[in-house]
Amino acid sequence: MRPAASAWIALAIVLVVAPGVLGVASRTRALLTRRRGAPVLQSYYDLLKLLRRGSVLSDTTSRVFRAAPVCLVASTLLAGAVIPLDGRAALIRFPGDVVALVYALAFGRFLLVLAALDTGSSFEGMGASREVTVASIVELGLFLSFGTLAALTKTSSLSGMLGAPLAAAWPTGSPAILMTAVGLFALMLAECTRVPVDDPATHLELTMIHEVMILDHSGPDLALILYSSALELSIIAAIIVTLLAPRGDMPVAVSLAVLAAGLLATGVAIGIVEATVARLRLPKIPLYLASAASLGLFSLVLVLWSSP
Amino acid sequence: MTLFLVGFGLVVAAAIVPPVLPHGAARRSAFGALLVAGCGLTAAAAVVALAGARVIQLTWRSYLPGGDAVIGIDPLSAVFAIAVAVLGATNGIFGDADVRSGAHPERSTEANALYAVLVASLLLVVTAQSVVLFLTAWELMAISSFLLVIFDHGQADVRRAGWIYVVATHVSTLLLFAMFALWSGTARDMTFASLADAWAGMPNRSVILLLGLVAFGVKAGYVPLHFWLPPAHSASPSHVSALMSGVVIKTGIYGILRVLTLSGAPPAWFGWTVLVLGGISALLGVLWALAQHDVKRLLAYHSVENIGIIMLGIGIGALGGAYGYPALAILGYGAAVLHMVNHALFKSLLFMAAGAVYRRTHTRNIEELGGLARRMPWTFLMFFIGAVAIIGVPPLNGFVSEWLIYVGLYDAARTVGAMRLAIFAAPVLALVGGLALACFAKVTGVVFLGTARSARVAESSEVGSSYLIPQGVLAAACFAIGLLPALLATAIARVGAFVAGDPAWGSGGAGASIGTLRGPMLFAIALTAAIAVAALLRFALMRRRSIRRAPTWGCGYPEPTPRMQYTASSFASPLVSMFGAVSGVYEHRGATIFHSEPRDIVLDGVLVRAWARVEAAALRLRPIQQGRLHLYLVYVVAAVLSCLVYFVVAR
Repeated sequence: MRPAASAWIALAIVLVVAPGVLGVASRTRALLTRRRGAPVLQSYYDLLKLLRRGSVLSDTTSRVFRAAPVCLVASTLLAGAVIPLDGRAALIRFPGDVVALVYALAFGRFLLVLAALDTGSSFEGMGASREVTVASIVELGLFLSFGTLAALTKTSSLSGMLGAPLAAAWPTGSPAILMTAVGLFALMLAECTRVPVDDPATHLELTMIHEVMILDHSGPDLALILYSSALELSIIAAIIVTLLAPRGDMPVAVSLAVLAAGLLATGVAIGIVEATVARLRLPKIPLYLASAASLGLFSLVLVLWSSP
Repeated sequence: MTLFLVGFGLVVAAAIVPPVLPHGAARRSAFGALLVAGCGLTAAAAVVALAGARVIQLTWRSYLPGGDAVIGIDPLSAVFAIAVAVLGATNGIFGDADVRSGAHPERSTEANALYAVLVASLLLVVTAQSVVLFLTAWELMAISSFLLVIFDHGQADVRRAGWIYVVATHVSTLLLFAMFALWSGTARDMTFASLADAWAGMPNRSVILLLGLVAFGVKAGYVPLHFWLPPAHSASPSHVSALMSGVVIKTGIYGILRVLTLSGAPPAWFGWTVLVLGGISALLGVLWALAQHDVKRLLAYHSVENIGIIMLGIGIGALGGAYGYPALAILGYGAAVLHMVNHALFKSLLFMAAGAVYRRTHTRNIEELGGLARRMPWTFLMFFIGAVAIIGVPPLNGFVSEWLIYVGLYDAARTVGAMRLAIFAAPVLALVGGLALACFAKVTGVVFLGTARSARVAESSEVGSSYLIPQGVLAAACFAIGLLPALLATAIARVGAFVAGDPAWGSGGAGASIGTLRGPMLFAIALTAAIAVAALLRFALMRRRSIRRAPTWGCGYPEPTPRMQYTASSFASPLVSMFGAVSGVYEHRGATIFHSEPRDIVLDGVLVRAWARVEAAALRLRPIQQGRLHLYLVYVVAAVLSCLVYFVVAR
């Protein structure tokens, strides 16, 4: 199989599995808290239901409100296209494509935040304000983590950082790689607004971050936003899976199977965190984010220290 | 060169000819036509020189002290001249319309003349190749921009801003005198070429580099030398703010790059200093911007941020030169120059859109605005494009240059030795990007989205085409560079290689280190295509669906008022309070009100207080000034006597 074909298949796997990861997470959480919980496929049903619905638009909104879901889903998809999801090479790869990953996500977020402010609702303004606060520290942490990988593998392209050079760096760089992976997991929880930063299951607007921003979106627009969030979580999870199990040398079929299994395992891990950890109070969140980012910092210092 | 000189002459004519013409349409169209034609010709000359990889020079023999006057276009001059010419034309057209519908329409001729002088002096600053000519143009630029800053001199805060600006810019000039005096001490004459030849044998090279960094830094406005920038940008007419932020402060960057060009690879400490100053400036600039509620001050602090980002590029270049990585030097300088051009485009665009809002609403306080996207849809579109460009996300031009700077930092991590530490600037730049996103979400959201926060805003309407066309030109340029950066790769690499002192800068080989820029081009085009496809799908999906209109969800509360919207103070509060005292914000909290007030730490916190001390100390000397003639005669006699005594004793 040609590398490009396996990259397309891997992208398709991520696109299909993404809502399921959320389902696995909530099912795990339910089981651990002695509830039966919704079916694993519930998030697919939700998306299909929303796609079939009509839409209610707020009077105050402008075009931005309608453009946001479209731009969000497009930019999240493109962010996925620069990650070597098959463990070999990404569909789009160039030096510094890691910047494109983070900044494409930022573009989607910018539009979503503007859509929230477009409604003129104080709840959504509050959510937007919290979202940008969390995101700015998450970006700092992401670049520390990717800096570690760049210094370790001597490339600035994700296809190198997560491809063959990563496997070569594992024997000597495993402490730094593990620390990076843990840091990325903590950052993923924040970026994708899961416990302990945000609780997707909460029903009180005042305590929400991401959910409150999209209160006024409905129907297919809401479906696009929910799907983008799931996709974003899955592509960051794919990075973590690749870090822990470099797949450059595996046969393509095995590599793709590992990807799917890894994504579902991430869902289980998120569920375990959500069942065992309480949500942090809002003022504590910067501290959490700083701790997560400092894991990236330590691993970067470690790599720079240990190699000439 | 003839092309450039003719263009330059036309710009000068735009200053001189309209005032002698009769009032009315002839005068207005003469200014516009002369300015646009002049800027067009100078830009064309610069493009030709850059594309042909040529250095054009013209020397006037002179027997005055200071020697020959030389003017020339090399790649570095060319790229700055292009920026000056493009912005000179667009901002001039906008400004002419804006001033005429402002508070002093009768003074529009004066404003236009001063503006044309400023553009001409900017063109001269970036093309002068000898010290005396450079300093003359520099001073002309300072004075004409000062007169434009105090255009509305009826207001006290405008006079204060002008005063701070004129002091700052003359400190810069004074330091430049010192730098050039030291440098030309052993040089053959005072042309730049002789300075470059004399560099190798200079005794005080570190002092000269430091003087250059500070002198040009006052103009560029990196932290802590930024203090004059926010008041001056807030006080000036909108098109002047746009030109100041777009190119006047960039002459500081030009100066630093020119010093590096003339002196060759700098020592490592210089590169680290520039890199650290750039990081601090970018971070504090955007943080302080986040705290602002005056839209023009906010944009001015973003200029401080972007100067910081440009300095990161220069820092990479200087470090690459110092540690012997020529490819990195070319990459760093090239990235800095590209970001300079990009920032000139989108910042002018933002200032003009903000100026259009001010013209219609008469307020710069964003807390009083809101909901303008419906009343000024085109202005909103322009501001939105500028905002997407400035936060550096694909698919617009800001992404390309920030990406290049990141690539430089990541490439630094792949080298060996101390140079690798530059990678620590990457997370700083990421944080800056996140904060910039927050800031532009705040200003775009609060000004244009939601509902109007005051009656005056609710009545405002869209501005005319003479406001929108110049903005449209700049917005189109932002798109062009964002989607087709590969077309510029050779030119950027050429400028980078020229500054880095690569003797092969004219040949095609220099481009190898920048690459072809095809990566970000592909990504930006793919993203645009994906957005288009997604939009089409949504359109197809929604075509047969019912779409209902309803009030915004307010948890069941049916009567939302504009006052219930989130304010700019509240929006910025979590980030601002996270940084504590560094953000320089004073918060007023009450049961029904939350409002934050920004202070400039350097200006209000340090400089004004320090100056008060100096003034108090100077007052102690007051008693010796009595205004009586015989007392002064005594002083004179005493001074002469003490001199005599000194000479006798010294012998």
